[in-house]
Amino acid sequence: MALSDPTRRAILLKLGRKEASLGELHADFEMTLTGLKKHVHVLEEAGLVSTRKVGRARHCRLGPKKLENVTKWMSLYRDMLEERLDHLQAFLESNEEVAR
Amino acid sequence: MNTGGKQFKHVMTTPSDREIRVERIFNAPRERVWQAMTDPELVAKWWGRGNELVVERMELTRGGHWRFVEHSDHGTHGFEGRYSEVVPPERVVQTFEWDGMPGHVALETMTLEDLGDGRTKLVNVSLFMTSADRDGALASGMEAGMEASYAALDRVLAA
Repeated sequence: MALSDPTRRAILLKLGRKEASLGELHADFEMTLTGLKKHVHVLEEAGLVSTRKVGRARHCRLGPKKLENVTKWMSLYRDMLEERLDHLQAFLESNEEVAR
Repeated sequence: MNTGGKQFKHVMTTPSDREIRVERIFNAPRERVWQAMTDPELVAKWWGRGNELVVERMELTRGGHWRFVEHSDHGTHGFEGRYSEVVPPERVVQTFEWDGMPGHVALETMTLEDLGDGRTKLVNVSLFMTSADRDGALASGMEAGMEASYAALDRVLAA
């Protein structure tokens, strides 16, 4: 079951935003590179992710069985949420006069 | 959950196929974070992601309505919902709906944890509704609901 695992769903959400190399994906997930590769392999077998070699790196993107409809809104929402939190963080760290 | 040597700006996980959980630590005491998130004048300074933000409504109480509108060169985006729980200075539960995706309501649960060292941990869990609006969206051929789609797709993939 390709989608029964939260890490695999998170990989799809991430790739729904933009392509990433295995190394870049690995930086975002708390697991060994071997573990991550296994998840990507499951997704690739299912046609949800496709990978290709670029130089020494392996690039991953959504595969032929794109989950666009499924992931689009969650991915978009997540981007907006993260942008908001970035701005909140910047606001909190720049404005020492917030407290009244 | 994010221990070890790696320092991430934030931690994003998908606890279930209908949820997104984001965790972030702010270098500010909880009262300040709470104020920045609940004072309309302060909300206007960051919520718009760099766009001008008009806080049209912010009735910060159970059942109260909120509506924020972002204005940018690319257009106007309205967001709104209702507060279902407000517990200062630590917890807000609210619905979230974007004008651009009408009918797709998410339930957001935001909690602030005082880390005791002047920092605050924010955890935001967004639960996506996929029942009634899902059927409507499927009928209109637009967005597919997540839960049913995942299940259906898994069945297809397993076949």
